[in-house]
Amino acid sequence: MSAAQVGHFNILYFASASSYTMTNAESLPAPLPLSKLFGLLEERYKGIKQNVLESSLVTVNLTYVDVEGDGEDMVIKEGDEVAIIPPVSSG
Amino acid sequence: MTTTQDLDLQHLSEEGIYVALTSDHLNAQSIIDRVRSPSAGAIVLFAGTTRDTFDNFTVSHLSYQAYVPLALRTMLSIAQSIKTKHGLKGIAMIHRLGTVPIGEESILIAVSSPHRQAAWRAGEEALEECKEKVEVWKREEFVGGEGVWRANRDGKKGERVDEEK
Repeated sequence: MSAAQVGHFNILYFASASSYTMTNAESLPAPLPLSKLFGLLEERYKGIKQNVLESSLVTVNLTYVDVEGDGEDMVIKEGDEVAIIPPVSSG
Repeated sequence: MTTTQDLDLQHLSEEGIYVALTSDHLNAQSIIDRVRSPSAGAIVLFAGTTRDTFDNFTVSHLSYQAYVPLALRTMLSIAQSIKTKHGLKGIAMIHRLGTVPIGEESILIAVSSPHRQAAWRAGEEALEECKEKVEVWKREEFVGGEGVWRANRDGKKGERVDEEK
């Protein structure tokens, strides 16, 4: 796992999220209010909100967060690991 | 992040519990041996294998991706709760990642308990919990080159995706 650059957090994209962004991970500037995350991703990847994010969950440092609810207060900090978790399909 | 390609085997374990992700072939005997106990009267083993069709499409092979640290944590939590609920002697779950050819095992779950009823129930419940929650994704590659990421949640054909770079 590569450390995030100074002043950045890492974001991981899985399954349909990685197909949409054409990458598995990248660094984005921190700090970033959680409530601004989907807007930032939509700017970078037009259509990702409707096609991927609205059916996905989000984790910050391996803990699920509620982007709509907690989003008001929570801030993604430098060095955090954020992940976009589309509907799972193990088995 | 740990990629599937460099993952040989990662696991978490505690008393009576073993959960793992691996890019190697799965071995049913070794997962049975993980739950073997002199106080158990039953071991139930579930082996999930990769099927060659989805709807009317022919699947050439499947590949699995995981958010490894989170998937292991979720598997451990499922194992703890099922072990307690059904009074199991042991529970072991392993999922294969990377490319899995058709007809091979992609997941093994073994549970042991003093009596068979609890083992049957616990085995089924553990699998259903895994399919609902564990952060692993299956990509079906269809003959002809098209691939889709599957979602267990809706049981529908997954979103169509272009070839990944």
